[in-house]
Amino acid sequence: MTVFYLVLFLALIGAAAAVAAFAWTVRSGQLDDVDTPPRRILFDDDGHE
Amino acid sequence: MTALALAPHTCTHCGLAIPSGRDGAFCCAGCEIVAAAIAAHGLERYYAMRETPAPARTTTRTYAELDDPAFQRVHVRRTEQLANAALYLEDLRCTACVWLVESSPRCIPGLVDVRLDLGRARADVTWDPELTSLPVIARHLDRLGHAVHPYRGLDRDRQRRREDRRLLVKLGVAGAAVGNLMLLAIGLYAGLFEGMSRADATFFRWASMMVAVPALGFAATPFFRTALGALRARRLHLDLPLSIGIAAGLGWGSANVIRGVGEIYFDSLAMLVFLLLIARWIVMHYQRRASSAAELLLALTPSRAHRCHPATGELTDVPIEALVPDDLVRVLVGETIPVDGTVLRGTSALDVGLLTGESRPIDVAPGASVHAGTVNVAAPIDLLVTAVGEATRVGALVASIEALGARRAPIERQVDRIAGRFVVIVTTAAALTLVGWSLLSSLATGAEHAMALLVVTCPCALALATPLAVTVALGRAARRGVLIKGADALERMATPGVMFLDKTGTVTAGELAVVSWRGDLDAAALASAVEAASAHPIARALVVHHATTAHVATELREELGRGIAGRVGRRHVAVGSPTWSATRTSPTIDAWIAELAERGETPIVVAVDGVPVAVAGLTDPIRADARIALDELAALGWQVELLSGDDPRVVRRVGSALGLPPHRCHGGVTPEAKTAAVAAARARGPVVMVGDGVNDAAAMAAADAGIAVSGSAEIAIEAADVYLRSPSIRAIAATVAGARATLATIKRNLRFSLGYNLAVGTLAVTGLIHPLIAAAVMPLSSLTVLASSLRSRAFRSSP
Repeated sequence: MTVFYLVLFLALIGAAAAVAAFAWTVRSGQLDDVDTPPRRILFDDDGHE
Repeated sequence: MTALALAPHTCTHCGLAIPSGRDGAFCCAGCEIVAAAIAAHGLERYYAMRETPAPARTTTRTYAELDDPAFQRVHVRRTEQLANAALYLEDLRCTACVWLVESSPRCIPGLVDVRLDLGRARADVTWDPELTSLPVIARHLDRLGHAVHPYRGLDRDRQRRREDRRLLVKLGVAGAAVGNLMLLAIGLYAGLFEGMSRADATFFRWASMMVAVPALGFAATPFFRTALGALRARRLHLDLPLSIGIAAGLGWGSANVIRGVGEIYFDSLAMLVFLLLIARWIVMHYQRRASSAAELLLALTPSRAHRCHPATGELTDVPIEALVPDDLVRVLVGETIPVDGTVLRGTSALDVGLLTGESRPIDVAPGASVHAGTVNVAAPIDLLVTAVGEATRVGALVASIEALGARRAPIERQVDRIAGRFVVIVTTAAALTLVGWSLLSSLATGAEHAMALLVVTCPCALALATPLAVTVALGRAARRGVLIKGADALERMATPGVMFLDKTGTVTAGELAVVSWRGDLDAAALASAVEAASAHPIARALVVHHATTAHVATELREELGRGIAGRVGRRHVAVGSPTWSATRTSPTIDAWIAELAERGETPIVVAVDGVPVAVAGLTDPIRADARIALDELAALGWQVELLSGDDPRVVRRVGSALGLPPHRCHGGVTPEAKTAAVAAARARGPVVMVGDGVNDAAAMAAADAGIAVSGSAEIAIEAADVYLRSPSIRAIAATVAGARATLATIKRNLRFSLGYNLAVGTLAVTGLIHPLIAAAVMPLSSLTVLASSLRSRAFRSSP
């Protein structure tokens, strides 16, 4: 079962990376507005290049 | 032109009927301008995307003040090549508006980016100052039907944003901790049943601790901080037992990991912290919504003013940020007054609807004080500035609404008291458990059971019970046009008692209307022509009754308190009180006058060339939904009474039309007497005062709860706990019913969470609780409270 030690270690590193990524999205303001983006997805791509 | 001719009578832009007498394919100039702008930029897709067509509004503003250095210093941020500013946009409705606004960079060279935040009605624009300027961008957005204002209160916004982000990061950390700890816990629980080597179990426990202690230590800081603050101030707060539970769990769990025996509670604790943070985030989100509605008021006062040079009288356009008290400002006709001030030169009339709800313009002369947000409708005036921005009356109003929103309700304080007792009971029980089990078996068993008790009784559900129920209720109410300023107001309206209603403007429309007409019908057009130019309420009622463009009156003469006379064509028309307007009289006319007066209407006689030809009966009509609203209130157990400053006979007549017995209709009541009546009634039970005017404000403040109906005076809105934005007064019944349902939900939540704690507490004291049961039941109790709050009937059914 020694493989657990390695897998668990990797899994926790992955989790830490995910948390760090989430913290970055929050701090960069991507989650400040949760009302408008769901509407923006309805736009077609023309002219929004 | 054939295409337009084939689709007549409806506006090409908004689809509303085109008023007769207007040429073309549009209902108004606003729609025409906006449609032209949309077509000019090839943005017709807007029409396919929009959800709710509405008439467009544009202004003729040049927005030159946005280029002012003083303004730019405050509102514009510059990078090397680009400039950035936040703007507040009016009339944003749906996805199509987002698309239209965000398509602007295609239309204006040099405009780099526009990002819209629909919830805050805020657009962040970035542009190249070499190629374009803020006024150009603002004019473009205005032409698309979205008038532009600078986004004020940026500091406050930034502060809130920081708080939001901090909470969200904690939420994310707690969420990740829950997921990972749960996986580790499943391994450990499986090991309990399937068997697991001691070394593996120890490894899993250490791994859990490594995740839980830093993650929860960080995520739970808000609770620890409030608990410490409350301890220092020697106050009771719910966060205290929460912190004790969390700290005990983390501490004892870590001790057990190091000792190598005993239970760890990390997964359950992480779930508790996660759920508590979610609840906090929901509450915060709703509160932000409510306060940004109040800020709208501030945003709608104008952003620029014409400053008058004191010596030369020369006018310069400046942003209001550049104004200081004792500056001289000129306000032109049709402009909104930007500051609080005193009239120095000029006489005019002001539309003070925003502040007082008064529908008639009021006259101002030198020496009169005027307030920001009112509109100058008659003639230019010069003002001496006394207050600017947040120091104005509108600013104070916004501040008061925000302060009321943050007030703690009695039931929340009661929950804090419960929490206080809770701490005492749980710690005592833990101490007894420790001693008891130490005597019965060993110190280790005693400590184990005592710690289990502290952890499983962590009152998470109790912490969620009130704020969730209140937040859901306030949010739903706001969506239905009922603005409730605080949780305490909900509670004070929940028990039926006496409800006093003001008459004028509350159960009646608040303005005179022609309700009967006797005699020559053609005379209505003549009367309307004569009254067209007057601002008198009777004149307005006659004009509304029969709007006309067929006749034009000349040689107008208005006699205060009597009536108006003028010449229409070759006829002399007089409209006014029966004794004044006609030189002759007739039995028919006299009979009509008597009949209308008998019914409580004000008779107005129309005379042509001295001969009375018609009698109009005017009254302040009862709102169409008043009867149903009062019946609904009675059905909910409220005793409804009228409390009015008007003539007692009129009040009784209105009361009887609404099905109220005469002894419940009080007329001729002064504002002081209203307050006294409310105070007297409060000695017997709960009292709610419903009103709209300045004369009701004191009574509203004296009552357990005050409700201001739509169109109320500013001071009434300020004194009230509830403001009905929707015009129907049936919202009153919906409000008190919703309040009762909310309180019922809170009580249900509290009963449930305390019952839960009693049950698991007993299990823990007797040493019967299994860690697996604890892990399952602890989050379940919180989720039940969450579901119960969302399922609440409060403010759900439509009126």
